[in-house]
Amino acid sequence: MASQTPFQSQIYRSLPEIERADAIVDRITKAIALGLLKVGERLPPEAALSEMFGVGGQTLREALGELRERGIVETRRGRSGGTFVVNQPRTQTDTMRDWFLSTSISEIRDLGDEHSAIAATTVRLACERAEAHDFDRLQELARALVLATTPESRAPADSRFHIELAVSAQSPRLTAAEIRLQEETVQQLWTPFAVGFDPEQATAEHLELVRAVAQDQPEKAQKLVLEHIRRNIFHLIDTKLTLGYAQSIQDGQ
Amino acid sequence: MNPTSEVVHAANALTSWIRGVSTETEELSRNVASLLERNLVGKSRVDKAALLGLDEVSREFLAKNTFAVGAGTFFAAESVEEGARVLEWWSRKESGVIGRLDFDLTPGSNRYYDYEKLPFFSTAASTGEKSVWGPYVDFLGFEEYILTFAAPVYVHGNFAGVAACDIRIKDLEPLIMPTLRAIPGDAALVNASNRVVLGNSGMYLVGERIKSGSPNQHRMALDVPHLGLSLIYST
Repeated sequence: MASQTPFQSQIYRSLPEIERADAIVDRITKAIALGLLKVGERLPPEAALSEMFGVGGQTLREALGELRERGIVETRRGRSGGTFVVNQPRTQTDTMRDWFLSTSISEIRDLGDEHSAIAATTVRLACERAEAHDFDRLQELARALVLATTPESRAPADSRFHIELAVSAQSPRLTAAEIRLQEETVQQLWTPFAVGFDPEQATAEHLELVRAVAQDQPEKAQKLVLEHIRRNIFHLIDTKLTLGYAQSIQDGQ
Repeated sequence: MNPTSEVVHAANALTSWIRGVSTETEELSRNVASLLERNLVGKSRVDKAALLGLDEVSREFLAKNTFAVGAGTFFAAESVEEGARVLEWWSRKESGVIGRLDFDLTPGSNRYYDYEKLPFFSTAASTGEKSVWGPYVDFLGFEEYILTFAAPVYVHGNFAGVAACDIRIKDLEPLIMPTLRAIPGDAALVNASNRVVLGNSGMYLVGERIKSGSPNQHRMALDVPHLGLSLIYST
């Protein structure tokens, strides 16, 4: 491995402890998307990859299996065999576009209905159960959204706020439900399509929500969170209409 | 009005059980400290070699103290040599097998477990005393509804980290409910933030905070140093 370029040592640097296979998939996918690894290029042999990533053979094979399934790499046998990059990975934007095209407005509305039910109870309980330590933390998490400078970092900042709101409500089940709902919607919300989503307004709404929780005003907090979700859902429906039906407007004319 | 003998009896039983947990946690912290002092041989920062045998300390704790679901040590970032692992945490799996629990310790990552900011760590760091934190949903950590007993670890007199053990709320319930049920009226064990750890009826539900006390709601502080626990009961 003596002849590694700085880029290569960047791609193959050692990993955090958990979710190693996922992290390998992510690292290689990103490297291809950024053009650091090119279509046609051969990855180093499995043993070398295991060593560089600092993972066992099983974990590495899991990661390569996932990359093969996504059609990004191909493993060929024989003397000139190995694992080759065969395709550019689909970008987040592509995946999100597919989601908008395949999800109906009624389904988006229904996601909002469920989220409203979960969030309304979550904030009511947070008003009763959260304490000073939680308010500080939520405020910090709310600010993290406006400090996030890229769409990729806004999505996790936004979802983290809502998840920790459920944590402050002391309910493992509501927390699990919030995590699931965030996984289903947050990328869609922040992936920039025709109409971008404004992080400053979302942050202002989060901060107002924290104030209502801190002042133990359950009705106000519920009203705020329901409006917040409705605005999110409107944005998703707007995006859906723009991506899915722009063509039909032209056709209709 | 004086508490009834049932209340006094329950308070004593709770105090004695919780003292036991607190003492065990303190002993865990002492065992960690003496192991580190032996291993460090003069070095000031904890490195990989200094952690040798630390896993056994956690495992022994869990083998002995079956009420706990997890135990181990979180180190203060400044006491650790760069590159060493900054925690050693072991937990009991559903099957009963004890295994190491890993956390994401990469700052900025979506699942970063920023333990130095969590109350079980920061309280021990700032007060230098034992503490209990919870009930809380340990998001990104053990990810269950738990109570954490913690004690600071001092190596050669310097704060090095926190030794702690987790008790699942659902495991705690059968352990202390019989004691609470022996009190005839509504009663609950509450923490220093007035949050219910466990109550003997629907009146006091775990996780809820007790607001302004009604005139027939009474409080008896439990004599376990630094934990701030009390018994609330109605007459």
